[in-house]
Amino acid sequence: MADAAIHGHDHDTRGFFTRWFMSTNHKDIGILYLFTSALVGFISVVFTVYMRMELMEPGVQYMCMEGMRFVADATRECTPNGHFWNTTVTAHGILMMFFVVIPALFGGFGNYFMPLQIGAPDMAFPRMNNLSYWMYVAGTSLAVASLLSPGGDDQLGSGVGWVLYPPLSVREGGYSMDLAIFAVHLSGASSILGAINMITTFLNMRAPGMTLHKVPLFGWSIFVTSWLILLSLPVLAGAITMLLTDRNFGTTFFDPAGGGDPILYQHILWFFGHPEVYIIVIPAFGIISQVISTFSKKPIFGYLPMVYAMVAIGVLGFVVWAHHMYTVGMSVTQQSYFMLATMVIAVPTGIKIFSWIATMWGGSIEFKTPMLWAFGFLFLFTVGGVTGIVLSQAPVDRAYHDTYYVIAHFHYVMSLGAVFGIFAGIYFWFGKMSGREYPEWAGKLHFWAMFIGANLTFFPQHFLGRQGMPRRYIDYPEAYAYWNHVSSLGAFLSFASFLFFIGIVFYSLLWGKKITQNNYWNEYADTLEWTLPCPPPEHTFEQLPKREDWDHAHGH
Amino acid sequence: MRGFFLTRPALPWAQPRRSKQSPMPYEWLPPQNGETHLHLWPYRSLPRRGMVWFLSITISLIALPLAALIGTMALWGLLPFLLAAIAGIWWALNRSFRDGEILEDLTLSETELTLTHHGRKGVQTWAANPHWVRIILHASSGPVPNYLTLQGGPREVELGAFLSPAERLQLRAELQDALQRHR
Repeated sequence: MADAAIHGHDHDTRGFFTRWFMSTNHKDIGILYLFTSALVGFISVVFTVYMRMELMEPGVQYMCMEGMRFVADATRECTPNGHFWNTTVTAHGILMMFFVVIPALFGGFGNYFMPLQIGAPDMAFPRMNNLSYWMYVAGTSLAVASLLSPGGDDQLGSGVGWVLYPPLSVREGGYSMDLAIFAVHLSGASSILGAINMITTFLNMRAPGMTLHKVPLFGWSIFVTSWLILLSLPVLAGAITMLLTDRNFGTTFFDPAGGGDPILYQHILWFFGHPEVYIIVIPAFGIISQVISTFSKKPIFGYLPMVYAMVAIGVLGFVVWAHHMYTVGMSVTQQSYFMLATMVIAVPTGIKIFSWIATMWGGSIEFKTPMLWAFGFLFLFTVGGVTGIVLSQAPVDRAYHDTYYVIAHFHYVMSLGAVFGIFAGIYFWFGKMSGREYPEWAGKLHFWAMFIGANLTFFPQHFLGRQGMPRRYIDYPEAYAYWNHVSSLGAFLSFASFLFFIGIVFYSLLWGKKITQNNYWNEYADTLEWTLPCPPPEHTFEQLPKREDWDHAHGH
Repeated sequence: MRGFFLTRPALPWAQPRRSKQSPMPYEWLPPQNGETHLHLWPYRSLPRRGMVWFLSITISLIALPLAALIGTMALWGLLPFLLAAIAGIWWALNRSFRDGEILEDLTLSETELTLTHHGRKGVQTWAANPHWVRIILHASSGPVPNYLTLQGGPREVELGAFLSPAERLQLRAELQDALQRHR
């Protein structure tokens, strides 16, 4: 056994390089994830702004074969460069799905706050955590490299859409496509390792007395997310590996000429792809639950139904995949099954929405910045959910398939739902992570600019979709001009709010007012992270927390 | 391969769940042949059967895409990745249990008090005459609050460093009692 060791505690003596480049501390890795995903998010948002510039007017003004332009110039000739358009669409999708939203919500907030909320001293496997982060960075680099390397149409980058459907993805020239596949491989491996780590931590390192039915909702949301990642990302890894061998080693998994089936790829991809959208949004559910309860000054309404609704959404997410592919020629029976199963998801989702509303009901609501974002989330996610029900109808989907209606739908649930969840989390925990306050007015201005901008961008896209405008095109006829113009204006406003946000973060980190209390909100922010100083010390909960620290009569 | 089977050394948390009223991660065993045994182990929040439940649900859900692909070549493309994922989480949970596989066994007999520490680094033992053993409480000067050590043997050793401060306090009282009765 260990000899007695009676001496003082070591202090934090790590240098900058050791702390941030060789980090095994879950809080530091969480911060790294947040900053990296913000950087990748910026790249990805810049693509969208450029795309919205192009779509602002009919005709092609910016993405020319003669070279990219930043100022429209009618006097010079411009041959439309469709390949460049396809590449930006693909890059925006891949970066946002794999390298921005999951790393921010799951890698960032999950790493930082899940162990704190369950009272664990760190993750179960700290060095594996470091590996996950650096694999994510490596994956990001490959994804960016793929944009700059030789691809299809004798140009740079590959423009096959983020779903990478064969035969298009198999026939795309150059090695850009292979780099993109490796990028997704690395990001997937990183997420799977992260998920294994989180599951082990959540299951085996909860504070004494904290049974599964007492874990705070954000912790639960991270657990459900990790579980979805563990179940679905290996399927994606398999699918894109087969793409890789079809491309390079002459296999014919997805090539009818050799007995394969391209539709099979779509089935496998969406078996991953549908859980993926829940992987993106469930951590946001967790954050929103904490925020709404704190600023309504009430415990969350229906804790257990909230937990099991998340689990149910996760499980149902695995049996609805083919609603993304109603038009590939499935039998009517298959389509009716996927239609019904999809509509069933509205039940657990409804439980969550109504429980949030019931939490606010009769509460003493305070409109601090995080609560505004939570309100925004609630509204936008509900709009996206309602159009989801519309799209789930196989007959209606015949008309809406591959139109801007679909674009509007999934941006309402993911871009607005998940992103508003990220911002709610950032403003809610900013002081906890940095020890400094952000200016309240600035947070509110950011919210209103983003809320108006995002709605202005995506609501008109419903109209465009109903008019029949197809997605993934660089140009459109005159008839779609009006709402495209409005949508672009909205995108510029959102982008301005994002730049303003970057300013807020740097201002607050450098000159924000220092926070001295542990809990700067109110006593309804009652999870374990609020018992720690702001920012928390390097080592937390080396002593398991006492039950009265977290088990409040009204807990959530 | 040891970690892959559920029949494991009889560690306390591997036993069927005891009553919910005894959350203390240490236990006095009934005296046998004039010897009193005290077992101490670190806290783990997942019972073994919880792991069985978790893995069964995970495996049955991950079997769904495989079942859908039976008869196609693509089955072989997916299988290695799915197996790797299951092996990964299996290994991780087992490893997490093994990291906590510390058992301190304190045996109090007529003539000797022995403390055996079964940890990942093997077995370490310490023995002393019960009449000479002193229990020292370092309220705040130790590496953890209410650090407990035993003196009276070849060297000073720690006891139950993985317990919570309150638990160590209670343990000290109980151990003191047991020694008193013995003397």
